[in-house]
Amino acid sequence: MATLIQNTVEAPPPWRGVMGRHPACFTLMLYIVMYGMYAMFDSKALSSYTFTNLINNASPLALAAAGQTLVVLARGFDLSIVGTLSIANVIMAVLPLDGPWGALASFAICVGVGALVGSASGYLVAYRGVQSVAATLGVMIICQGIALLILPAPGGMVAEWVSDEMTSTLFSLVPASIILPVIVAGLWMLLGKTDLGTALYAVGADQAAAELSGIPVKRTRLLAYVMAGALYGVAGFMLSAQTATGDPNAGMPFLLLSFAAVALGGTSLAGGQGGLIGSLIGAATLMLMQKVLFSGGVSSFYIGLFQGVLLIVAIVIGRLINRSRTGDRP
Amino acid sequence: MPDATAATLQMQGISKSYGATVALENVTLTIGPGEVQALLGENGAGKSTLVKILSGVVRPDSGTLRLNGEVYAPGSILQARRSGVTTAFQELSLVQNLSVAQNLFLPSALKGIAGLSSTKAMHAAARDILERYGIGHLGVATQVSELALAERQRLEIVRAMQFKPSLLVLDEPTAALADVQWLFRLVRELQVQGTAILYISHRLAEIRELAQRATILRSGRSVSTVDLGAASDGDIFEMMAGHGVVRSTVVPLKRASRPRPVLVVNDLEGCNVKGVSLTVGEGEIVGMAGLEGQGQRELFRLLAGDGQPKAGQILLNGKLLRLTCPRDALRAPGGIAFVPEERKVEGIFASLSSANNITLPVLDRLSTVGLVSPHREARAAKAPAKEVDLSDRYLNFRIGNLSGGNQQKAIIARALLSGAKTLLLFDPTRGVDVATKEAIYHAIRRHAANGGSVLVYSSELPELIALSERCLVMYGSRIVADVAGSDMRESYLVGLLTGNAQVADAVSH
Repeated sequence: MATLIQNTVEAPPPWRGVMGRHPACFTLMLYIVMYGMYAMFDSKALSSYTFTNLINNASPLALAAAGQTLVVLARGFDLSIVGTLSIANVIMAVLPLDGPWGALASFAICVGVGALVGSASGYLVAYRGVQSVAATLGVMIICQGIALLILPAPGGMVAEWVSDEMTSTLFSLVPASIILPVIVAGLWMLLGKTDLGTALYAVGADQAAAELSGIPVKRTRLLAYVMAGALYGVAGFMLSAQTATGDPNAGMPFLLLSFAAVALGGTSLAGGQGGLIGSLIGAATLMLMQKVLFSGGVSSFYIGLFQGVLLIVAIVIGRLINRSRTGDRP
Repeated sequence: MPDATAATLQMQGISKSYGATVALENVTLTIGPGEVQALLGENGAGKSTLVKILSGVVRPDSGTLRLNGEVYAPGSILQARRSGVTTAFQELSLVQNLSVAQNLFLPSALKGIAGLSSTKAMHAAARDILERYGIGHLGVATQVSELALAERQRLEIVRAMQFKPSLLVLDEPTAALADVQWLFRLVRELQVQGTAILYISHRLAEIRELAQRATILRSGRSVSTVDLGAASDGDIFEMMAGHGVVRSTVVPLKRASRPRPVLVVNDLEGCNVKGVSLTVGEGEIVGMAGLEGQGQRELFRLLAGDGQPKAGQILLNGKLLRLTCPRDALRAPGGIAFVPEERKVEGIFASLSSANNITLPVLDRLSTVGLVSPHREARAAKAPAKEVDLSDRYLNFRIGNLSGGNQQKAIIARALLSGAKTLLLFDPTRGVDVATKEAIYHAIRRHAANGGSVLVYSSELPELIALSERCLVMYGSRIVADVAGSDMRESYLVGLLTGNAQVADAVSH
């Protein structure tokens, strides 16, 4: 039926599939440039010790931001991130399970608690139609309360095996704390090859069209929150490994930083565009930024200010690059 | 005519209401295999509700559906699809941030190794489908957002067709298509294969080319199913418009000479507005008619200062207006006040009192050194409230708690109090009861009698005929007719509305 004269609309290069639409490349470039600056200011920057330290610092935020990405992609905001991280942290501190098997059990508990909290948020948002900020704010406050009940004041000890091994350097080269983010990135790539992964983008872009296309919108939303919660649990696990102690307010700093990492990673806060890997790198970049500013001799009073400005500039530039890349088509 | 036992689809006594609004009432429809049946009706006649019921998006309140003889009660799009009913939606149901291939297979991608979706397999299969339906020039990996509207429409149609349904619903499938022959060829092929097709369109010429029979909906009821060969266009318009329409008690004013022009629009261009020129005179009520999405909404918004025209002039009392926001329109000498259609979203501030809502645009007049006196505010709200017959006791209620009719009265009171001489009313009586309608008509008439000018769009033709002296008809982003006097008859206007001007003329003369 098709006539041969019809000109073929050129197919976009493969990197512009769902995952590559808002490529994390820009964020990665930013990270590399910043690492270069860091190396200029500080000669120890290229040592494996420094690198391990950086990754250790960034790992909990990266995992938390990865979870936040899933909710943001489905057009939502998840404030319960704070509560889940805090609960995971205090459980690790009051219930230290030593040895590799103990660590595995702790890990499973953190993931399970996170998924449970996520399913509560997800149920409220997807099936009860509560606005995501309102629902997750309520869940966050409840979780903070629970964390306080478990551990009323900072203290406790995280199992030694966890705090030692999860922050060590493997083969004196690879930081152990990078393993979980890498696994998460791998799982994300698999998710992109499932109907759920596609549905996540569809729901975030246009709920009505998704529904009319036969996508189970409610279930997709719910699962986004459950998976996100599980990732916050993992983030809490890594945070505990890093701090080695418990704090019922441990999750607080992650709230805004997780959104910053998501935005810096090229994910649209309006949903439907972006990806998880960008957020992982975005989180690493945020933490590196602090180091660079500090080693560059910027007074700690100004670090927050610079960080904010850099964040905005990076996001604006990232947007411009992506627009010029996609804007050449009518 | 196919007999009932062999029918592909049989709808019997289908009713659906949303709250107090009856969308469909006792609708009966039968389509046989290989039949293309048209569904005709004005705005709000219930066409889209019928489409939603057939596609499994909403469930009917009562009545039975049978598909190929079996009870058909789909609870979702997917169930409908499994039963053999697919729909190409008017609003297009493609997900814009996914590729053409992904959209074709939603919600389940083709799987390769280990149950993971295989881009390669999907692209190959999608290419086959696109070729088969004659749109092989679309790139399967292209993101839908990068396609032109016409291509998206084609893709929407192909997606519905490729599931090989026994009933295919096409809702305004040619709205964005310049080349309709492509669609006609595909429809005829499906027809030969025995697919039943429900074809919804307001373009009579297309319908006559494709369909054998047409079912006409009016106010949610199926008026009749006619053999298109035996019914003239005039008959069809008559059936769509209906007889015995209740006339408003307000009788249009007759005037000898043309009034002084107040609002003059020259060659206005904008999104969905093409070369629109119009004049509204002092003391004149000008009606505007148009089917959904013909550009009337965009035109009203441009005139109200919400959005910038690409070209053209808006003159008020002979002065050129440059509107950057609705505030400009309100503050212009003479003033233009706009009453939008979505009162819940754009009209009211639900948590404020009715009095607050009415006095919002003139708060500066009611305040001393920036502080608003509640007493003066309440007093100021009383006069316009009386104009629209809004009872005083409602003034202190939160407007969100009032009925839709009273909310609408309050919004019109606000427009009156703003002091603007020119009112733009977009469907001011949508969803209000008869008494409220009368009150609103009287308020509009009084405003005009006092030297104000009114441009009013309504989805109800009888209302326009009763209310206005002249009626402009919008079709395809343009004003296609300016009808006055005895030409303002429903059957004639329906012809103009649906872009069948010649036919309408034939009916008229």
